[in-house]
Amino acid sequence: MTYRNSEVRVDDASDEILLGRAVDGDTGSFAVLVRRYTPMMRAYARRILSGSADVDDVVQDAFISAWQQLHKVQDPKHLKSWLMRITSRKALDRVRSARPQQDLDDVNPPAPVHHDPVRRAEAHAGLEALDRALAQLPDAQRRTWVLREVGGYSYEEISDELGIPTSTVRGLLARARKDIITRMEQWR
Amino acid sequence: MNENDMTGLAHDGFEPEDLDGHTLDELSAYLDSGRTPVNPSIEQSPGCRIALESLERLQRLSGELLASDTAAEEPADDGWVQGILANIARDARAGRRIPLSTELDRADLGITEGAVRGMIRGAEDAVPGVLVGRTRIDGDVTVPGEPVRIRVDASIAYGRPIPATAEKLRSEIHRRLSAQTTMNVEAIDIAVRDVQRLSEGAEQRG
Repeated sequence: MTYRNSEVRVDDASDEILLGRAVDGDTGSFAVLVRRYTPMMRAYARRILSGSADVDDVVQDAFISAWQQLHKVQDPKHLKSWLMRITSRKALDRVRSARPQQDLDDVNPPAPVHHDPVRRAEAHAGLEALDRALAQLPDAQRRTWVLREVGGYSYEEISDELGIPTSTVRGLLARARKDIITRMEQWR
Repeated sequence: MNENDMTGLAHDGFEPEDLDGHTLDELSAYLDSGRTPVNPSIEQSPGCRIALESLERLQRLSGELLASDTAAEEPADDGWVQGILANIARDARAGRRIPLSTELDRADLGITEGAVRGMIRGAEDAVPGVLVGRTRIDGDVTVPGEPVRIRVDASIAYGRPIPATAEKLRSEIHRRLSAQTTMNVEAIDIAVRDVQRLSEGAEQRG
């Protein structure tokens, strides 16, 4: 018996218990949170970044930053969305530093995104169509859509985060929705 | 094919002329508001109703996207987790310095708040069915003899009697703090935050 207390396991503990322990300095509990939320944060970062090269760096940065600020999480129920916020900020930092000259509102055709077909094979057909439609959106549209629909950002928050006027956010989102829906209708 | 459309999409039926003067953005906002108050001009337009249906379908899919993407990701491996732990400052949570009274005149002994928290967490080793969560040490622990109050969050295994288990944890924490520190502990409050069900792994281990 390696674990001293077989009835309760740190691995199965609630976010609240783990968060409390991690705030108190228990790195083992933080490791459990890292395991628990790495797939979600990778998935979210992958949606914001068009390529996948920076995803691990972004998620690692996000966790390191999270460790430093864990005490700021007032309600453990918000831990997940708080981690999502840190992830999107780190991903957007990466976007900004990689291409400082690029106009966020550009409408150039996007580089094709290659997803592992096996990874998608079992996905629901609708989700697959959505995935394909998203892959064809210009970066700025896709990013805006992901922040809104996946990240739950308000228009104002997207405007702050991307440094663009709310009216531009509104326009990008409208175009993204229209393009996604049109493509998905065509494939039905 | 609409040659003004840089994305190369065919005419899509979502232009204002297809939507009786409404825009897709307007319809999104209407959908976000739960279609209340009812807008008859939108609801009576066949074009709008088709677009609303499409938007609703997209909204449902959007809600499932992250869960589906997350399920498709590889689980975090040990190397990944260790890589992150290697990059976090472990001593950042030391907290206040708690003096330890001693008979020796010249000795200046102390322990960090973080170490005391670790000591309190360690009490779970001696009480079956308990995990300690957050620990708070209230009172001015930096002054010897000042009364302090310890507040501890805990999780208790399903099936364990909560009051008796919490009491065992309380006395174990008291025993450890008395043995290892000179803090004047006035009270130890245990708040049971949740009850943990046995995981499959734990059941198999018996």
